[in-house]
Amino acid sequence: MTELTFNRIDDTVLDTLTPARGTYWLTVVLLFMGILVGLSCWLYQIFTGIGVAGMNIPVAWGTYLINFVFWVGIAHSGTLISAILHLFRAGWRNPIARAAETMTVFAVCTAGLFPFIHLGRVWLVYYMLPIPTQRTLWPNFQSPLMFDVVAISTYLTVSSLFWYTGMLPDLAIIRDRAVGRRKKIFTWLSLGWTGTHEQWRHYTRIYLFFAALATPLVISVHSVVSWDFALGVVPGWHTTIFAPYFVAGAIHSGLAMVLTLMIPLRKIFNYEKIITMHVLESVAKTIVLTGMIVGFAYGTEFFIAWYSRNPVEEYIFAWRATGDYAIPFWIMVTCNTIVPLAFLIKKVRTAIPWLFGISIVVNIGMWYERFIIIITSVGRDFLPNAWSLYRPSLVEFGIMLGSFSLFFFLFVLFVKHMPSVSMTEMKETLVEGGGHGH
Amino acid sequence: MAIDKYIMGLFKSEDQAVAAVHGLKESKWTLHRIHSPIPSHKLSEALKLKTSKVGWFTLCGGIFGFFAGFALAILTAERWDLIVSGKPVRALVPFVIVGFEFTVLFAILGNLVGFLTQTRLPRMQNLEHYDERCSGEHFGVLASCQEDQQEGLHSLFVENGGIVRVFD
Repeated sequence: MTELTFNRIDDTVLDTLTPARGTYWLTVVLLFMGILVGLSCWLYQIFTGIGVAGMNIPVAWGTYLINFVFWVGIAHSGTLISAILHLFRAGWRNPIARAAETMTVFAVCTAGLFPFIHLGRVWLVYYMLPIPTQRTLWPNFQSPLMFDVVAISTYLTVSSLFWYTGMLPDLAIIRDRAVGRRKKIFTWLSLGWTGTHEQWRHYTRIYLFFAALATPLVISVHSVVSWDFALGVVPGWHTTIFAPYFVAGAIHSGLAMVLTLMIPLRKIFNYEKIITMHVLESVAKTIVLTGMIVGFAYGTEFFIAWYSRNPVEEYIFAWRATGDYAIPFWIMVTCNTIVPLAFLIKKVRTAIPWLFGISIVVNIGMWYERFIIIITSVGRDFLPNAWSLYRPSLVEFGIMLGSFSLFFFLFVLFVKHMPSVSMTEMKETLVEGGGHGH
Repeated sequence: MAIDKYIMGLFKSEDQAVAAVHGLKESKWTLHRIHSPIPSHKLSEALKLKTSKVGWFTLCGGIFGFFAGFALAILTAERWDLIVSGKPVRALVPFVIVGFEFTVLFAILGNLVGFLTQTRLPRMQNLEHYDERCSGEHFGVLASCQEDQQEGLHSLFVENGGIVRVFD
């Protein structure tokens, strides 16, 4: 870190914005094709009917809701890193805060598509908005689904504003080094920021408020997502542990995605001096902690089911571990709680291939966690005559491919056209070792 | 009558900029503003800056949002007063969630409005007497003096380790 100077930070980050090579555009095209696959599947579903998905009674919530929860979870670590770690003054957040915030914004956008897709008749989505219509019908804010509409829209607005406001000084740096049309674009984007003492005086204050308000928001949003399930009287869902369990899981998956994105970014953009091994190691250590919390939550669910002496609850949890979905269940347990423990070994958490590999394993595990929670509970409801199994259809797989492609497409476009590391916050670490205003 | 000259001292370290600010305060020249690539406590202390008032905008936004959230939930429930799960139509407990989310949303919007109004952004025309090096690695201290006193101000900046830019 001592080798870094203000100019070197600027040069390193601005070098990433030079015109891209062919391999970059090939990646962009491939991801765009993935989006087209997803879009085609969605259009096919719209014109044919929601029946083309594998969902049916009793499993009426399938991969669309699994992916929704998965992407909302991914979205959480961006705010954790930029807001919560900012309040705790953890210096290691600075090199990865921008990319993590970007991940948050794009993950929320991706997540936000799934309720639309799941709705089937997407043109009726305005039913969820509190607007006066000829129907004189209003949304019911006692429903957790309406909590979700409010919470996710708030989260998208707040995280986007937080992300953009945090970028203003960096956009001004690009403006001041640009010429021609590019200069004009960045003059608009930077809103005319010039870093006067008056601007910084207000900026440091609002950044602090952003962080202070985003922190309870991030906890509330995934709690609200958990209540989509916990407020329903369904075995395996109707439990008070869901909110903290979901929040911990969200942070777990988000941190893993941070590693998945940061490691290639660090290599491709020569960010080794900025995103140091210490930063990656700190993320890995946090993953050990969140993995243990998630593991504790898994154990608690089983304990409560047994302790309640409720035969339906006891059955559902026994069935999860030994029934038709036992393989996904054990994938979930292994990937989320056992594999991350490897990060306790210093050699593992300081080796790039291990860090990258384990981060992907955790991502897979967290997807399966949502699968297990959503599918197994409704598949074995109170009425044994209605029990059924669920298997995603090709259309669902296509849409899922589209969602992953969309997320990576947006991220890849961003990192080549905007500063993927906060130059200003990196400079602050050189001076006083903190984020904005520390 | 002598014409005012605008001169900027560009410093690579905040300590040098702080020293120049102290020097300017003791002089007869006018300190206009400081540009810096990062926020600086030392400069804020040297300038004796007060805490920003944007918090009031944030607070007002939050209070408005809290009541707006509850009002929206109550209003929509009253317009369609169907009793769901035996809960009262004005079910305040679930409405706390709507109230909370709106509190955060409007507090953030208030925060942003406060920031934009206090800093008078966006400003699309070029700022007068600005040096583009200030967004990179220099702390720029802008001061003005009468034309015949340029030398003195110039030396103040140089003595504190800065390079000088004189604006036309």
